[in-house]
Amino acid sequence: MATHALAPATTAYRPGLYEWLTTTDHKKIGIMYVINSFLFFLIGGFFALGVRAELAQPGLQIFTDEHVYNEFFSIHATVMIFLFIIPILAGLGNYIVPLMIGAPDMAFPRVNALSFWMLPLAGLLLLSGFLTQGGAAASGWTSYPPLSEVGPTKSPGPGEDLWIVAIVLIGTSSILGGINFLVTIFKMRAPGMTLFRMPIMVWTMLVTSVLVVMATPVITSALVMLFIDRNYGGHFFDPFGGGNAVLYQNIFWFYSHPAVYVMVLPAMGIVSEVLPVFSRKPLFGYKAFIFATAGIGALGFSVWAHHMFTTGSVFLPFFSLMTFLIAVPTGVKMFNWVATIFRGKLSFSTPFIFAIGFLTMFLIGGINGAFSAAVPVDFALHDTYFVVAHLHYVLFGGSVFGVFAGLYYWFPKMSGRMLDETLGKVHFVLMFVGFNLTFFPMHMLGLQGMPRRIADYASNAGWNDWNLLASIGGFIIGISILPFIWNVFISLRNGKVAGDDPWEGNTLEWATSSPPPPYNFDRLPEIRSERPVFDARHGRLTPHDEMGPA
Amino acid sequence: MSSTPRKRLAPEAILAAVVVILLAVLVPLVVYSGAGSSLFPPTAVTTQAKGTRGLYDIVFALAIAIFVAVEGVIIWSVIRYRRRPGDNELPPQTHGNNLIEIVWTLIPTVIVLYLFAISWNTLNTVDAVSSSPDMRVHAVAAQFQWKFEYLDNNGKVIATQTEPDAAKGGGLAVPVGKNVLVTLDSPDVIHAFYVPKFLFKRDVVPGQTNRFQFTVDATEATDGHPNVFGGQCAELCGTGHRTMLFNVIAMSPGDFDTWLQALIAKNNATPPPAPSGAPAFALTAHNVAFDKTSLDVQAGQPFVIDFKNTDAGTPHDVDIRQSDKTTVVQDQPVTEGGAESTYTYNALQPGTYVFICSIHPTLMSGTLTVH
Repeated sequence: MATHALAPATTAYRPGLYEWLTTTDHKKIGIMYVINSFLFFLIGGFFALGVRAELAQPGLQIFTDEHVYNEFFSIHATVMIFLFIIPILAGLGNYIVPLMIGAPDMAFPRVNALSFWMLPLAGLLLLSGFLTQGGAAASGWTSYPPLSEVGPTKSPGPGEDLWIVAIVLIGTSSILGGINFLVTIFKMRAPGMTLFRMPIMVWTMLVTSVLVVMATPVITSALVMLFIDRNYGGHFFDPFGGGNAVLYQNIFWFYSHPAVYVMVLPAMGIVSEVLPVFSRKPLFGYKAFIFATAGIGALGFSVWAHHMFTTGSVFLPFFSLMTFLIAVPTGVKMFNWVATIFRGKLSFSTPFIFAIGFLTMFLIGGINGAFSAAVPVDFALHDTYFVVAHLHYVLFGGSVFGVFAGLYYWFPKMSGRMLDETLGKVHFVLMFVGFNLTFFPMHMLGLQGMPRRIADYASNAGWNDWNLLASIGGFIIGISILPFIWNVFISLRNGKVAGDDPWEGNTLEWATSSPPPPYNFDRLPEIRSERPVFDARHGRLTPHDEMGPA
Repeated sequence: MSSTPRKRLAPEAILAAVVVILLAVLVPLVVYSGAGSSLFPPTAVTTQAKGTRGLYDIVFALAIAIFVAVEGVIIWSVIRYRRRPGDNELPPQTHGNNLIEIVWTLIPTVIVLYLFAISWNTLNTVDAVSSSPDMRVHAVAAQFQWKFEYLDNNGKVIATQTEPDAAKGGGLAVPVGKNVLVTLDSPDVIHAFYVPKFLFKRDVVPGQTNRFQFTVDATEATDGHPNVFGGQCAELCGTGHRTMLFNVIAMSPGDFDTWLQALIAKNNATPPPAPSGAPAFALTAHNVAFDKTSLDVQAGQPFVIDFKNTDAGTPHDVDIRQSDKTTVVQDQPVTEGGAESTYTYNALQPGTYVFICSIHPTLMSGTLTVH
């Protein structure tokens, strides 16, 4: 017996562009999130290539005005974090969460549209800094005062103010989106979809939304204070006016460390969906996974000051201990993923290859992070290229590989067409090789003493070869995006028709057509486990069957 | 023993085993051979740094072990458990195992608690500050210049080093084997005192005096052969961030005493008087800008600039460079914020030059025309 989905809403048909501009359909909004975020990925990548081109050799080749170099790395990080990784994961969640829980849409469809449309606006505001006197924000994506305060040698121009306004807007969009996810997940689940039958992707979006709703208002407060300091003569962060410069860092990281999990947890969710499907096994330790996700979310609020060990005003043992401890739930996840593919029957389709890329690279990002939890070692590594290596192994090796696993996995559902497998594998190989060429040498650079955020270095510092290698890798990453774009282009025109369930999926999105109708489901299968579509395909296995042949 | 006949080993299993064994052998071999030396910090030159290095080596060894173990299982699975074409049978549907979950929660917990304990222990030596150091230095980091003041036991300045570069005869000289207490202050934005061979950095935060202590290992300098270590600001502090370089020079205590006396003598020397009759120009720095955009002087004749720096906390100078703004013609020492200097310049050939603040070259320059 099948459960009936909610009756289709009466939707008036509106043609083409007008429909996209005014839609409240979570699937169209999700796709717009993805496209918008991908465009900003290209923009952020352009800034990264500018940085790598400058650092390829000692001497100033491109940025005769070093202030422009500072604008480049500041805007690179800001765009990648706030306009690419966070929103593209929110966009994939937007598309997939209602489908996965058997809901017809998000709880607040108009709020959903509002959250999306704030993003391109915020992006344009941020980038418009380049057109102003003094250029875009140039005090790093962290924007620490007093450097980000007004002053002839600090941040005198309006670029910094535009940065603040853009981040506040993006934060508002995140909060609205987070509330929308929470209400959708708690109130809109189909009959039978209990909390402990929800796909891990939905669980990670749930924990992510809790982090967003609790942490984002905090950074907004820091940004508003900075704005008041800059424009109305405030002294919140001015040490010579009674303020405190390190206070900003505490508030900033109280958001921005949980934000790392906002950027990683949904990617973990994607990988937790992809690995079981292509291994033909259930996820190993489903509940352990949920507890580990919740554990990361909770511990994530108690480690922020590990970004500030060298400030001289941090209670070092506490933050060191908590930072070490957060490695435990992360390790549990890693072991469960590995146990999932262990003794499976693995099909090496592109989504699975990217998920394996995630496992192998995120492992390095977890391990090299432990170095900085040991406070004395952090004294050596902080603010060097070692940290740049670490964060890219987490956010690129982890999140970006996870994002591409998700894009290859759900593209057939979104478009009704399959992506080309050969081009997908070319994309993976180029990106994997380019990624490691770029970021592995940064460990060596950091250990040998190269600080972050410098436009040039002495030719006798011993950093030339590693920098050249990193720059070559950077351009290989740039090139690796081209087969992906070409793949999307030709597959939308001529790709193989996907059908409802091309991968033999486990979760509810594969029980409806590709692309799904506006109201998502004509009928839902019975939901008796975390794999309702698997159950419908194979029949509900008895516990005895599940043990498999002895 | 089971009575079932032994299964033949699948070719994938043999390949997977070979690759995993290669990984387990080659990774440690490469890492701990000469080829892997760049995965370790540079030679530690202070007693504190040696403690940090010992900790690094333990963290690193555990990191390599975990890396090889987990990547090994991933690679094993990827090679061994490939789905054959046409194989539609499901593998065993293993949902999990509570005992295994407990085991692989406890093992990493024990490892990280151990790492926490040894790093806390190391921290207590690296971060220790004794109340009676052998020597005190007050380091001031300002955009974009380091200054080192040698203090007596009461905190009174006995000598000031405004030239941080050893190649220009400056640098922070310290005696080997003596523990040096450094206090850090900034008049403007956040900087960081970073010497890679100390395996250490500490932020220089305006409004907060940070401190740390170091002892350069006695083997680092013998009489007459000082050892020079590079240092650099590590916290983004503006457009000149990368130019905030400095050197620490380790000397034998005897050499250091001579060096310090020479610095004191240099501090006390009065600058040579300007040749009488040399024309003088007034120039003021205010809000990181000169009050004049051009100066005209006679060729073949020395001249003087009476320079007034009104920017409290921000050092400036007035150098003369070619019109490309980078080729130095005449170099002058720094004038602290709130101070005044009389700079004397040698005679110049006719032409167009710039007068420029070497610390804020993009914000402070003007045209110097020599007729």
